[in-house]
Amino acid sequence: MEFLLELLTEELPASHIRAALEQLEAGFRKDLLEARIDIRSLKTLATPRRLIVAGDFAEGQEDREEIVTGPPLAIAKGPDGALTAAGKGFARSHSVDESLLEAIRTPKGEYLGFKRKAKGTPTVEILADAVPRILGALSFPKMMRWGSSPFRFSRPIHGLLCVFGGAPVPTSFEGFQATDETLGHRIASPGRIKASDLASYRAALEKSFVIIDPALRKKMIVAQIEAALAPLKAKAYPDAELLDDLTLNVEHPLVIFGAFPETYLNLPIEVLSTAMREGQKLFSVVRDKKQLAYFLGVADAPGDAKGLIRRGNERVLRARLEDARFFWGQDRKVPLGERAAGLKNVLFQEKLGTYDDKTQRLKRIAGYLCDKLGAAEIREDVVEAASLCKADLLTDMVKEFSGLQGRMGGLYAREEGLPAAVHQAIYEHYQPGSLEDASPASVAGAILSIADKMDSIVGALGVGLQVSGSSDPFGLRRNAQGVCKVALDRKLRFSFPLLLDRILGIYGDRLTVGRAEIKAACLDFFGSRLRFILEKRGYRYDLVGAALGPGVDQIVDVLARVEALDALKSSPQFEPFILMVKRIANIIKGLPAAKVNPDLLAEKEERELFSTLSIVSSNAQPMIARGDFARAQGIIFKLQPELNTFFDQVLVMAEDKKIRQNRLGLLQSIAKMLLGIADYSQIVVEGEKSAKPKASR
Amino acid sequence: MSVQDLILGLHRFWAGQGCYLAQTYDVEVGAGTMTPDTFFRVLDKRNWRVGYVQPSRRPDDGRYGENPNRVQKHFQYQVIMKPSPAAIQDIYVQSLRSLGIALEDHDLRFDEDNWESPTIGAWGAGWQILLDGLEISQFTYFQQCGGIDLAPVPVEITYGLERLEMFLEQKDDIYDLDWSADVSYRDLRLREEKEFSEYNFTAASVTMLRQAFAASQKEAGRLIAKDLLLPAYDMCLKCSHNFNLLDSRGAISITERVKMISQIRTLVNDIARRYTGGKDGA
Repeated sequence: MEFLLELLTEELPASHIRAALEQLEAGFRKDLLEARIDIRSLKTLATPRRLIVAGDFAEGQEDREEIVTGPPLAIAKGPDGALTAAGKGFARSHSVDESLLEAIRTPKGEYLGFKRKAKGTPTVEILADAVPRILGALSFPKMMRWGSSPFRFSRPIHGLLCVFGGAPVPTSFEGFQATDETLGHRIASPGRIKASDLASYRAALEKSFVIIDPALRKKMIVAQIEAALAPLKAKAYPDAELLDDLTLNVEHPLVIFGAFPETYLNLPIEVLSTAMREGQKLFSVVRDKKQLAYFLGVADAPGDAKGLIRRGNERVLRARLEDARFFWGQDRKVPLGERAAGLKNVLFQEKLGTYDDKTQRLKRIAGYLCDKLGAAEIREDVVEAASLCKADLLTDMVKEFSGLQGRMGGLYAREEGLPAAVHQAIYEHYQPGSLEDASPASVAGAILSIADKMDSIVGALGVGLQVSGSSDPFGLRRNAQGVCKVALDRKLRFSFPLLLDRILGIYGDRLTVGRAEIKAACLDFFGSRLRFILEKRGYRYDLVGAALGPGVDQIVDVLARVEALDALKSSPQFEPFILMVKRIANIIKGLPAAKVNPDLLAEKEERELFSTLSIVSSNAQPMIARGDFARAQGIIFKLQPELNTFFDQVLVMAEDKKIRQNRLGLLQSIAKMLLGIADYSQIVVEGEKSAKPKASR
Repeated sequence: MSVQDLILGLHRFWAGQGCYLAQTYDVEVGAGTMTPDTFFRVLDKRNWRVGYVQPSRRPDDGRYGENPNRVQKHFQYQVIMKPSPAAIQDIYVQSLRSLGIALEDHDLRFDEDNWESPTIGAWGAGWQILLDGLEISQFTYFQQCGGIDLAPVPVEITYGLERLEMFLEQKDDIYDLDWSADVSYRDLRLREEKEFSEYNFTAASVTMLRQAFAASQKEAGRLIAKDLLLPAYDMCLKCSHNFNLLDSRGAISITERVKMISQIRTLVNDIARRYTGGKDGA
């Protein structure tokens, strides 16, 4: 039987709509399941003013047999089997004939009881109860009160349409009695509408200029954009997030296609698109990667026959662009170098000092990275970029459009005629904003990006700022993932722990947490971020664990390790080798370190193993050092036959203590060498069971 | 329709909604919200309806009269309805229609915008109202003011008069607006914008402003102790305006900024607490 619910509200923010729809779907599923009502279908829809649930549910619960239990049998019946006073009392209180009473077995023992047919509750009754409960439990990112009521919701509520099987459900929510009526579009058709099922509701609202299905509204927007741009052979600059938000901002989408004076095309494309998007939620129009003097907006209206909506938007955009042009002109009057002096007055973090303090640190960190990466030829440029990269925080443009930070500095540096490496590094140093975002294209940008992020991470952890669950006030996860991504994308080889030492040294006494503790926290944190990145790239969790086992020294090595493992995982040698490594690990587990004395190697098999180990080890070491794990792993498989023979022929736990120690020492040195490549003991092979560790986020 | 017709129209409309028409407050404020007719009146339990024009001073928005949209002083039409009427959105829409705007030909949007003013410990939930992409009003269900939870909840509607007038007159330059049949916005305001921009950005004495801030702050504290809450609040407004001027002079670091705002807020919250009969302290 058909169910339809619409909560009519004042305009809900897009993020609130998303949160509510998820909770509504889950709430109805849970409540109906618990009430044993069969759900044939259930979906949610929405407009900015309506939260909608539509479904097809069973008419009621199935009739069923119900067991009513009374006192324990020992109390209800005497030794003779006759009912005691308690037993009779139970029968009387339920008006049930004594002959129908029987012994009911329960986990707690036997009780006196009886069975009866229970009529299923009609769904409408269940809904009457569930609807206000589910609606009342909705929670939003930010809640508000209105009028004289203490009730809190996303925005004020105006009505409840709630019908089941064509008739209003006898229920109410926050003083709104459920009806079969709602209202049309606020401006275009504000009259009352009656609807008793989804089809009539959809049709009546459509006539009143409300499209209830977000997916359909999105399609309409996309189609209208394409139609508007086809003659120009141009495209809207893709912006999925903006499209999604606009879809939830309107009841009846109407794409507005407007233009602005070409003179504003002199502004950088970054400025133009930001002014359009952030200020006015407009799409930019591009052709062959070049911005055109057009824009696309989405209005909530049936049409724009007089062109007033378009002209209004054009006027507003022109004013914004005029402002941007003013900023662009003003900002360039002061060179970045001069402006950077003002960073002394801008706080980075209370304990970590000003942005000027940060700038001084960045120069040293970036310089250090240049040295370690053998980038001497750009060292001077990178350090100059570091000294200027935060200056744009003081420009009018970045104060107006904070999303342009970094990029604006780069553009101003270019205008000043600074070398390409300098302005590019400044431009790119916030990149990547996310794992989906591109890493800096220039080496200088990559270095500055890592320096900036590492400074923030070490500093934050160093003054006790924690990342936990959903709380990450300093964006440390994003920053750490950014560092990993840049190192991986640009294949930058530098020792991560040594970089930490350097930054800790530069911070000196500013940090409140002990150095060893900060370093351990950073290594742990980066381990978890690398695990997240690699699992996201599709590597098996146990291979990722094995690759992280040796610890994070070179960030790029962790990827190389897991790639090598991944490539070898289906080779026939792989599984026997892993089992062998595990066997070794089990034998030496918890034992004190022992040295191998070649003179004590008694048997031929152990001598052969030892000499193969020496050869394999000396071949593998340089490969490990340069990060060529694919080849290193190929080589160590050569240990397998000798190891097999060793375990077949030689008793590790020899009676003679010296010989035993020596053999254990031999196994330990094998394990130690292997750990330089990967922690093979973490790899799960056929026949083994291991619970997947909870993905760390 | 001229600016003064617009003001008359709004006066007539909101008087019709039972609003008392207040006169402009005579201390510099950054927003109509800050005047006593809103600040104090939203704090208590009594129903309250008011409408008034209030000049809003934002020294940092000065553009020497050269920008067609930004000015360091503009005019707001402020409405408070407490408790917020259930049909307030419809009433607001009617107010636009009463100004002769044929909304059927336009795109009217309630776009999420949660207003807050850290200086007076206030925040609310609501929207900026966009008409064909132009922000013409701020619409806020006031949740807290002076750090106090408000009950009943007032709704605050603030019309940006110049914005709305530019829409009504279909003009692109604020200075081209007609204030009356024969006085233009340019006649009235251009010289003021030029001189005050110069003052706000370069001529104002930082030393004097700092002294004035400190003096008003001290005076506010002294008056609060005497339970002279309205005069004390005036002192807070003076602090706020001097702070804004210091800011536009570029004399305030971010650290200092946070500190000064919190200094004003502490005083304002104290005033609100005493006004509502709460105990001193905490």
